[in-house]
Amino acid sequence: MKMRKEILLAAALTLGSGSAMADAAGGAGCGWGNLLFDGSSGMAPHVVAITTNGFVGNNTFGITSGTNGCSADGTITYGGAAMMSGIMNEFSEDVARGHGEALDAVAVMMGVEKGDRDVFATVVHENFSTIFPHDKVTAQQVTDSLITVMKSDARLAKYAA
Amino acid sequence: MQATAVEQQLWQSREWINLLHYYPDRMAESGYLSHVDDQHFFNATNGVNNPRAEMLATLAAFYRVDVDGNDHPICRFPARLRWLSEHIAIDPATLPKVACADYAEWRGIVQAEQVTLIFPTYHLNSPSSMFGHTLLRLDRSAGENDSKWLSFAVNFGANANAAENSMLYAVRGLTGGYPGIFIVTPYYNKIREYNRIEKRDIWEYRLNLTPAEVERMVVHLWELKEVNFDYYFFDENCSFRLLELLEVARPGLELTDEFGITAIPIDTVKSIEAAGLIEDTVFRASQVTELQLLLEQLSPDEQRYFEQLVTNTSVVKAAGFIALDDSRQQKIIDAAYRYQRYQQLTKVRDDALAKRSHTLLGLLNKYPTDDTPLPIVVPVQPEKGHHSRQVAIGAGERDDQTYQTLSMKMAFHSLEDNGHGFLRGAHINMASLALRANNETDKIKLQRLDVIDIFSLTPRSRFFSPLSWRVYTGLERQMTDGVDRLTSHVTAGAGVAYKLFDDGVFYALGTGRVELNRGFSDKRLKPAVGAATGLLWHFGSMTSRVELAGEKFSNGKYRSRLLWRHNIPLARNHAVHLSVTGENHSADRFVDTTLSYRYHF
Repeated sequence: MKMRKEILLAAALTLGSGSAMADAAGGAGCGWGNLLFDGSSGMAPHVVAITTNGFVGNNTFGITSGTNGCSADGTITYGGAAMMSGIMNEFSEDVARGHGEALDAVAVMMGVEKGDRDVFATVVHENFSTIFPHDKVTAQQVTDSLITVMKSDARLAKYAA
Repeated sequence: MQATAVEQQLWQSREWINLLHYYPDRMAESGYLSHVDDQHFFNATNGVNNPRAEMLATLAAFYRVDVDGNDHPICRFPARLRWLSEHIAIDPATLPKVACADYAEWRGIVQAEQVTLIFPTYHLNSPSSMFGHTLLRLDRSAGENDSKWLSFAVNFGANANAAENSMLYAVRGLTGGYPGIFIVTPYYNKIREYNRIEKRDIWEYRLNLTPAEVERMVVHLWELKEVNFDYYFFDENCSFRLLELLEVARPGLELTDEFGITAIPIDTVKSIEAAGLIEDTVFRASQVTELQLLLEQLSPDEQRYFEQLVTNTSVVKAAGFIALDDSRQQKIIDAAYRYQRYQQLTKVRDDALAKRSHTLLGLLNKYPTDDTPLPIVVPVQPEKGHHSRQVAIGAGERDDQTYQTLSMKMAFHSLEDNGHGFLRGAHINMASLALRANNETDKIKLQRLDVIDIFSLTPRSRFFSPLSWRVYTGLERQMTDGVDRLTSHVTAGAGVAYKLFDDGVFYALGTGRVELNRGFSDKRLKPAVGAATGLLWHFGSMTSRVELAGEKFSNGKYRSRLLWRHNIPLARNHAVHLSVTGENHSADRFVDTTLSYRYHF
């Protein structure tokens, strides 16, 4: 039942239309406004990574779930909603193909039980153009569409409630 | 409580030493100093070099009432509290009631029952990763919520300053100018970093730590949040720190002792393996490895469609493409998509390319799911390779004079060494020294000292155009107007390599050299330009390399040489090596032959 709470949190974060969310998506660096196929964010982090195995800037300890500049409050779970911005590119590939580890990770994040994973894979595969309608879709839009798609499927609706 | 600690001399316990990251230091009064360079980590003002004072202060700190919540020592040092409670009767009822909100939240996120050691392979184009890298991954047990992508990676690296420029990063990163810090981040970030961007294969070793041992490590990890360590590239690096975490997890395990001077990542993997910790191994091929495999599966015609598709998605409407089997079309589109993303790896978003990539995904989506895995050939595990250090003894002849040689190198792997477990074409040596005793003159001379010697041979193909390059610097003898002189130099080159046949790679490089030579008249420091071309050939476990190289100096002096090196491995760490070099200089000409026995340890 632990996972259920996380789904609720994910859903709340995603569907919440409060101004806080709009701020975050407006480019505060939280990742929600990230576009599909966003590239690397400049050379500095890359140079640091290759010369020191280190990093620049925000100290992360799992609390910000891999999203630069995100508020630590609320956007965290084991695979919480903030994760979508982290793996959106990989997820789009897996949805197009109908399988893959990024797709599995999103299924786990949404609390989809093992018995329903194949259904999840099939349903998202069939709805690629709904979830990724164009190349400038944002992480938040992808999460919204994913939940809509899940809700309209009899077997997956329970995970998106 | 303090009395019990004093009576039992509990601070001398290996577990306490490990929890505080102390190491024996004869200069310190207590005999110990901590690797942690952060007062925040200690409760005693002299905690950094006094395990006893730190223990007594820690016991007192748990009873502090002047701080509350997340900042209270009970919340900040849960592993110390736990361990002390196991050895001293601390009545929980007497401890202050503190709510550790951050810790509780973090424990809710980072849930782990298993630990996996991660080894992204060697990456010569990255100074910090030439020898590979290690990190740990905290996994949930196999079950409903298990997803390796969502597991947390524990990485130790330098905490750099964003305001500095790239050159400074490199210099300070290697010389210990940055503090080291632990970072906990979802594993998918690491897959992207290594598997995609750096094009490195990843080895994953599941360790047999019990859930209780994993718990001990995770509790201690919290104590290391935002704590600065000394960070030195060669010894107190990522790999060394991970060994310390494993020692905390399983008391009695002693892994760090043997790494006094250097901790090469693969050597730490070997010591973890030798300690019997590895349960099973998974190979995660890099994106580019997968793409190359996919391209190899395409026929020449299909490759032509692939090439067109990368820049023009309307090719799917061509009659010839439509005539192909669905499964072939699917493969071509998949390859074209992957290739586009590969080209885009380290670049900022390109709108036109993003649009094409999205179109390709839409096209790919029209085909039924095909989840047959790519037929990836899993290479030999890197920890099965020869050891990192090497000594060699040999005998040789130059013209009429015979000699004996003794050579040593601290690390790591040459092009001709036994390739079992290593990347082909990746040559990296550090601190490599050769002495030569001439039988006629009875003199022992330094023949060469390579401070660093890197040679990266990556074959190009129709769709990939990597650079091959080499750089080496140090001291080496050069015949100069009839005198054998010890010169110092920096030599570098860049060029191309092509696979001639399955086990043979041809290369050609343009080279440049700056040499300090007392035999040069007027200015002793002279630049030279030159070229090198050769063939590296693997057959069975043997390796042969032939190279023709030459350079001309600014004073008109020239040198050319033809060399042949042949290595015959006898066992994992033993080999016989033959080297024949014919040199032709402005005023000198000679042939030098050495036969040596090499041992890796």
